Amino acid sequence: MSTQLGFYLDAAACNGCSVCLVACKDKYDNPVGVNFRKVIHQTMGHWEEDSAQPGFLVPQISAYTLSIACNHCADPVCLEACPVAAIQKQEDGLVLIDKNICVGCRLCQCCPYDAPQFNEELGVMTMCDGCVDLQGTGEEQACVAACPQRALEFGDVEELAHKHATRVAGVEPLPDPAITRPSLLITPHRNSPLSRSEIDG
Amino acid sequence: MRVEDRPREGAARPFKASLDAWSRAVKLAGGVGFGLKQLPRSDKLLGPGGGRGKWIAADCWPDCGSKGYNKAYVEDGVVVRMGTDDNIEDSWNRPQLRACARGQSLRLWLLGADRLKYPMKRKNWEPGGGQKELRGKDEWVRISWDEALDILAGELKRVKETYGNRAILANFVGTITARFLGAYGGFTEQWGGHSLGTWMNAIFFTGYEMQWSDRFDMVETKLFLLWGTNPVWSQAGLPAYTYWEAKKRGARFIAIDPFYNPTYEMLTDEWIPIRPGTDHTMLLGMMHTLVVEDDPSTNPLIDWDFMHRCTVGFDRDHMPEGVDSSENFVDYLLGKDDGQPKDAEWASEICGVPPERIRWLARELAKERDAVLCTSGGVARVDNADSLPQAFITLAAMTGHIGRAHSQLALAHHFGTNGGPQLVQGQNSRSYSNSHLRAPPVLNPLASNTMAGGLVVLPTPGCINIYEINSAVLNEQYTEVDGAKTPIDLRMIYHAHGSRVNQIPNTLEAIKAHRKVEFVVTQNMFMNADAIYSDLVLPVTSRWEREGNVCIGYREQLLWHSKVMEPYFECKDDLWIGVQLAKRLGVDPTIVEPWSWGQEIFNQVADARVMQDDGKTLEPLVTITEEDLAHFGFEGEPQVGRIPIREFQEKGIYHIPREPGDNHSFVYLEAFRNDPERHPTHSQSGKLEIHCQALADVVNNLGWAKIRPIPSYNPPLEGYEATFSDWPARIKGEYPLQIYNVHMPRNAHTFFDNATVMRELFPHEFIMNPADAEARGIANGDTVLVRSPWGKILRTTWVTPLVMPGVCVLGQGARVDLDEETGIDHGGCANVLKGGTLTGGGHSGFNSVIAQVEKWTGAPLRPDLDRGAIIPLPGERM
Repeated sequence: MSTQLGFYLDAAACNGCSVCLVACKDKYDNPVGVNFRKVIHQTMGHWEEDSAQPGFLVPQISAYTLSIACNHCADPVCLEACPVAAIQKQEDGLVLIDKNICVGCRLCQCCPYDAPQFNEELGVMTMCDGCVDLQGTGEEQACVAACPQRALEFGDVEELAHKHATRVAGVEPLPDPAITRPSLLITPHRNSPLSRSEIDG
Repeated sequence: MRVEDRPREGAARPFKASLDAWSRAVKLAGGVGFGLKQLPRSDKLLGPGGGRGKWIAADCWPDCGSKGYNKAYVEDGVVVRMGTDDNIEDSWNRPQLRACARGQSLRLWLLGADRLKYPMKRKNWEPGGGQKELRGKDEWVRISWDEALDILAGELKRVKETYGNRAILANFVGTITARFLGAYGGFTEQWGGHSLGTWMNAIFFTGYEMQWSDRFDMVETKLFLLWGTNPVWSQAGLPAYTYWEAKKRGARFIAIDPFYNPTYEMLTDEWIPIRPGTDHTMLLGMMHTLVVEDDPSTNPLIDWDFMHRCTVGFDRDHMPEGVDSSENFVDYLLGKDDGQPKDAEWASEICGVPPERIRWLARELAKERDAVLCTSGGVARVDNADSLPQAFITLAAMTGHIGRAHSQLALAHHFGTNGGPQLVQGQNSRSYSNSHLRAPPVLNPLASNTMAGGLVVLPTPGCINIYEINSAVLNEQYTEVDGAKTPIDLRMIYHAHGSRVNQIPNTLEAIKAHRKVEFVVTQNMFMNADAIYSDLVLPVTSRWEREGNVCIGYREQLLWHSKVMEPYFECKDDLWIGVQLAKRLGVDPTIVEPWSWGQEIFNQVADARVMQDDGKTLEPLVTITEEDLAHFGFEGEPQVGRIPIREFQEKGIYHIPREPGDNHSFVYLEAFRNDPERHPTHSQSGKLEIHCQALADVVNNLGWAKIRPIPSYNPPLEGYEATFSDWPARIKGEYPLQIYNVHMPRNAHTFFDNATVMRELFPHEFIMNPADAEARGIANGDTVLVRSPWGKILRTTWVTPLVMPGVCVLGQGARVDLDEETGIDHGGCANVLKGGTLTGGGHSGFNSVIAQVEKWTGAPLRPDLDRGAIIPLPGERM
């Protein structure tokens, strides 16, 4: 069976510092508004009257962050949507955009993770390529190598699933993993609700 | 002056052939709005074995207090990418020193289109001033370095000869620029702490010195109280990772803070919201609880053994010699002197924490043997909080958490997550370059002969308190250390290194002061607020363009950064400027530059020391051979050390190996706890002083406040109580909200704040609770007008339950962007809202701000991203 490369995120360790995002932006020279990786800040809750201590409002809140890029999905809807076959899934599982073929029609923006990013200057779509240029150099992916919390890893998803004992890919507010079968593995934050399919499944 | 609409074009017109590389660099860096015209570099092969360039260890010096390692990949003299610390295999025992988001953005920031490129003078400037009211509004004219230096030397000479050196205000210009100014007869300097608030006094006098235990000890702690801390935003990097390691080992974390920040999101399920500036009352309520509930036999809550042997002033039986026993702290807590017990109910009224929660936290802390009380300077950056640090010290002492394993009072996590003797020693400052370490320091005769440009934190004769800098210019008097109002005639302001207009309280007053004096000069990399209000602006190199730098990382790393690139356009080093001024003004240039900066860095590397495995003996870090001396071309002697000098230079960092149980472990104040007579503290009594006369004296002598030697509560001038027009009747006043002033991820003070990438990723929002927003008809994302007694700003809101009701959060460091017609700052500069009131011991009180907020009915505020780059010269393009 061929490999499938993907990301692992320890969402319990992630604190939203965004080094991953800047490292990516720096490496790819991405302009304003074009970000292969995103840091999602999820906030929940409200304040309410404290029944034990009348007159005091107490917080019932929780919050956490998720750092998400292209998940090089098993069922990439971007690939299916592309009318010119500019998006290919490689043998190693990476979903890559060939900028020489892309016509910039943006239909691949149907991606529920918002991974394909239109670069106005280039007139084409761009996306996380798993730092394919660093393969074989001994260097890790820019986002992974830079993470001060050691919360990101990249590799064969089966190996990562085994190493981190998780198969979770859906936590709020990420889309239902059933849509694209993302090559993404998450150790959820302690306050993170799983998405519906993770609970049912 | 033009504020660019996020410039988009790429390089259009190199000024000369040699600048081609620069144009390319700036394009690649995205400085010109990320205006790239070629395919992303991922289409090329980079990295070891693939690229044509090489990695160079690159400095990150902006003053956040933390330290990350960065390296720059340089191809044909152009920096094309940043890299991380992959010099060693990463492990908890010996972690890589990974940088934060700011560090990763260094290339994009330093190669921005808005870097200053040429010396400039204000169009309507004339010797002596020339339409001084136009400062901040005038046009800029490009001039040559010769003309710029002639102007500066001429004005220095004129001011010195006419008014004397005292008329030159050069506060916080840094030790490099100050070498010339000190040698030229001195200058007026500031005193006071920006960062640690009132801890600055406390660490000099109380016996607690702001030291910490080793991280291997710390991560075994069972309970952490995080009291006003957020290393994820303020000192990003290893501190948060260290806390995370403790969390993984099962530690419990409790946050006490007005804002549930990202550090707490990661670590903390128990959040005790507390109003800004009221922490002292909560501490008193906790200590009152312990005093009334403690029973040594049935309910032991107080570490009486430690209190007896190691402290003075706690109760009647432990007073310093010659002090009236009624001046003790327990009597104050119980209200024996003023009739008001400082119990949880009393505290709750002020701090907003339910009384039962206060008592619960006191018991939790007292009953947990292995607990750390972590706090930050921010909690003490409150006007009149001069006695707050003693309250923290007393609580930690009472609950048995001083001088014991897995227990400590840890102030400032950027140090506090790893303490003990520095294991790799070099230039022991992370942000400041103390220049020419082997040379005698250049002194400033007008600052009591302290090192010129050094940090002056305590009241020092001749120096002006940071709060009083601007009013001293405007009102021509300042307060001496004995409280005497003293005339002063300041005629010239010299800026380098810092950002004074923006970063000390009362920015609007600072602008007025800048329009009063006869001459203002700024040396900077960017058009910061100091430069905007100047007559002459000199573009200086970043540390990437100088001959390197040596500095410590945390306890276990020493970094050696090399020169990454040639000076940007016509930028010059601060040191070079000093030498040119010396030559023009008859000062011996060898005092300013005793030897080249390259030689200085070589000396610092040669002088670096590393601890041996015995934990006692230091040895040289680097081996230097005759061949190395020939290679570097600097003067020196061969020496034997731990690693070859060229290996250190190539990697740019040395991490000492660590493992649990090694000889480098350290528990702060353990020796003192075990034997206070043989290992006294540095306080007057040699004990921890809960009654500290020296601290009270230094504050009271200034005459701005009257404090007791014990940690009694003094309400802040603009704190919670001041949000009421009638406090006893609890009737709210004109400014009913408090503003909590935090470090934000976008910037380190003003550094990085103008970087396009940082403005894109980290909006500088005004953070409000939904209840406060709804009451004012404000929705998330609305533009709001924020008014304090001192000024007005516009911001976009982030309405979130993560901040407590009644409190708003505003990050500090954003550059002022004043609308002269309305007097409203569109930049969101926190010091427009913070006044320059003289209080207490004169230390920064940025967290005492009261305000009112309303929905803005004018045009919505333009995103900061669209107002980031100021390009001062007309038609300036690359």
